[in-house]
Amino acid sequence: MTEKKPFKTAELMKEMMKGYYRDGAHAKENGIPVVWVTAVSPVEIIYAAGLFPYYPENFGAVAAAKRVADKLSQVAESKGYAHDLCGYARCGIGDAYSEEHPVGEIVKPDITMVCNTQCGSLSKWFEVASRFYKVPHFVLDAPQIGNEPEELVTQYFIEQLYELISFLEEVTGKPYDYDRLNEVLKLSSEACRLWNEVLETAALEPAPFGFFDACFHMAPIVTMRGTQQAVDYYRALKEELDERIKQGIPAIPNERFKLYFDHIPHWPKLRWFSELFASRDALVAVSQYTHSWAYDFDLSRPIESLAEQYTEEFVNRFFDYRIELKKRLMEKYDVDGFVLFSNRSCKPNAFGLYDKRKIITEETGIPGVVFESDMSDLRFFSEEQIVDKLEPFFEQLEAGKES
Amino acid sequence: MSSELLNTFKTAAENYDEDVQQWKKTVGGKAIGFLLTDVPEELIHAAGFFPFGISGGDTRMDMADAHLQFWACSFVRSSLAMALEGKLDFLDGLIIPHTCDTTRMVLGIWKHAKPLSLMDNFRIPKQVERPSAQKYLVGEISRLKKLLEDFRGSEITDEELWQSIKLYNSNRELLRKLFFLHEKNPNLLGNRNLYTIIKSSMVISREKLNKLLQELLNSLEKEEETSSPGNHKSRIVISGTLLEPMEILDFFEESGGVIVADDLKNGFRYIESDVPEKSDPIEALAERQRSRIPSAAYDNNNNPRRDFLVNLAKEKKADGVILLHLKYCEPENYDYYDNYLALEAAGIPAMRIETEFGGVALGQLRTRVQAFMEMVGGGGSD
Ligand code: SF4
Repeated sequence: MTEKKPFKTAELMKEMMKGYYRDGAHAKENGIPVVWVTAVSPVEIIYAAGLFPYYPENFGAVAAAKRVADKLSQVAESKGYAHDLCGYARCGIGDAYSEEHPVGEIVKPDITMVCNTQCGSLSKWFEVASRFYKVPHFVLDAPQIGNEPEELVTQYFIEQLYELISFLEEVTGKPYDYDRLNEVLKLSSEACRLWNEVLETAALEPAPFGFFDACFHMAPIVTMRGTQQAVDYYRALKEELDERIKQGIPAIPNERFKLYFDHIPHWPKLRWFSELFASRDALVAVSQYTHSWAYDFDLSRPIESLAEQYTEEFVNRFFDYRIELKKRLMEKYDVDGFVLFSNRSCKPNAFGLYDKRKIITEETGIPGVVFESDMSDLRFFSEEQIVDKLEPFFEQLEAGKES
Repeated sequence: MSSELLNTFKTAAENYDEDVQQWKKTVGGKAIGFLLTDVPEELIHAAGFFPFGISGGDTRMDMADAHLQFWACSFVRSSLAMALEGKLDFLDGLIIPHTCDTTRMVLGIWKHAKPLSLMDNFRIPKQVERPSAQKYLVGEISRLKKLLEDFRGSEITDEELWQSIKLYNSNRELLRKLFFLHEKNPNLLGNRNLYTIIKSSMVISREKLNKLLQELLNSLEKEEETSSPGNHKSRIVISGTLLEPMEILDFFEESGGVIVADDLKNGFRYIESDVPEKSDPIEALAERQRSRIPSAAYDNNNNPRRDFLVNLAKEKKADGVILLHLKYCEPENYDYYDNYLALEAAGIPAMRIETEFGGVALGQLRTRVQAFMEMVGGGGSD
């Protein structure tokens, strides 16, 4: 397979993320408190408060991609944290207790702020962290909702956002800047809009961009939405993609199939997976995961809007909603098949996949497959088992094309 | 006299569906199951339904394989498997407290695999100390109430609700009396009987339960006059999610260990706090949920579980604490190490024991318990 021409923006991102980590490492010296936050949490509140939001999940993903998750995890395991806990948490806790820091030390928090839209693991991990680093802890609680938004949940979340703001005012000793919040929300919405435009190019045939590219380019939308840099970055990426579309540079050499993928990528074997699919001419085009960041805030009612958008995010929805979402995305991107990753690390996204696979195929006729592994820890990865699972699925895809 | 009664409880716990089936036949009512135990059962009862606690375990685990990964906890897996096997067919509804990601996700699976007319999560708040928590919880309990009202076709009156609350409070009071009696004089009931009674209280009709408990208490109090408490026992606290397997209680007994306290969902935590009989009933139910013994399922900033455990062990003059870990239980696992450190710092011997529903090697478990009992200086020298 010919090497794909790397994105120009990739360099830009590396610089940007380096800067982000540098800022994090120096925040304390500059008198800026570091707030640990979670991926699907209203980070806009933190940016607007002039604090530095840090994503320990991202630390976990980096450790996973560098294939040291098992090393960090084993330190956590030696304390009694079992290997069946979320890999990100194991990396974070492992790093706390570790003498060695193979991916650099995690940035220590001054405050931990957990939002549990995604899962319960983060809540527990952040609790542990707040005890370990002896810092104040704040829980932003999001009860899971079904198909329709619920007044009860929205109101609860709104009230908590005000509680959070008072909490931050107390910790920082500064009054909250609501004007700044509006600016941040605007930037966040704009970055999300651009990010989704980028993702949508995967629907083109052939597409210039797919899920594995998205995994690479997603760091700024997760960590820096709400900043001008994130907006600039996705604008540049979008321009580069438009250029590639004009020049006819595809994401994979010979796209014959489009696939849907659930959920988190397999970080240590990202490349292996992307090459495996490409070698079968299958472009993994879409995933609910990369589509998580699609906020569009109403600036006339910022707090309400934050509450609605975050609690209504799919990670905070019940089973049936998630099936509908997957089906919607599959239809929109006109996929030929779907692959579901039963990720040992991530119980909330893995539990239910067996039934979902069955239900979706029954309802749409689209073939699907579930494979087992762990997003970060290679001790739970078996190349052979995965290939064995995927092989019949690829055959189904081929058969589908012929008929 | 008491041995006959004890047998009744034991049989009820073993043949868990007997009473509910009987009740359904005579009353013609509906049964609503719940997973243990952060659920406002009083509401279910007030609606005229039979609240049935699903204790898992009694099943072929592989029944769940097609629906739920093996790395889900064995409590939820076995409960689902029981339903799939047809062992819970008497249920008309199911309420699952959202205590972790597994209980959160299994609802959807269960709904498709074994649908019932009424199925929902009770979404407990994950922070219980800020003002927003009480307000939300009142809303969530009201939502559940509405669901139950729709199911029965009429409103639940405050009077009905107070009646159920009072009944439950008196259930709990009687159970607590038993618990304290056991603590005072461990020869009367023994560990196994005590916890079997608590377990059976989730599957016996509440009205009947009170009668049985009262009779048992009467006869035990009489026996107490003539029985000596003995002074050879080590006092043990168990901390964890769920007590399983029940045999572990026998192993303690054999080694001279008395369970004097716990924070288990199917132990003392189930019966500890009452619903305050004041103000509005929904507000009162919410207050109870927020002030229960700390659990790994939610954040207790101001009453951290580790401090609670240390204080509990001290207050109960415990010789040691067993940290009972249900394999694959995430929240419990995240709490373990800090709980352990806090106990260690307080000079209280503690040891983790991992268990599972189904498939625990009892011989090994016994050895672990014996080792711990030796460590704390027990050993049952009569
Ligand atoms: S991978 Fe899953 S369990 Fe881990 S932090 Fe993310 S959502 Fe939570």
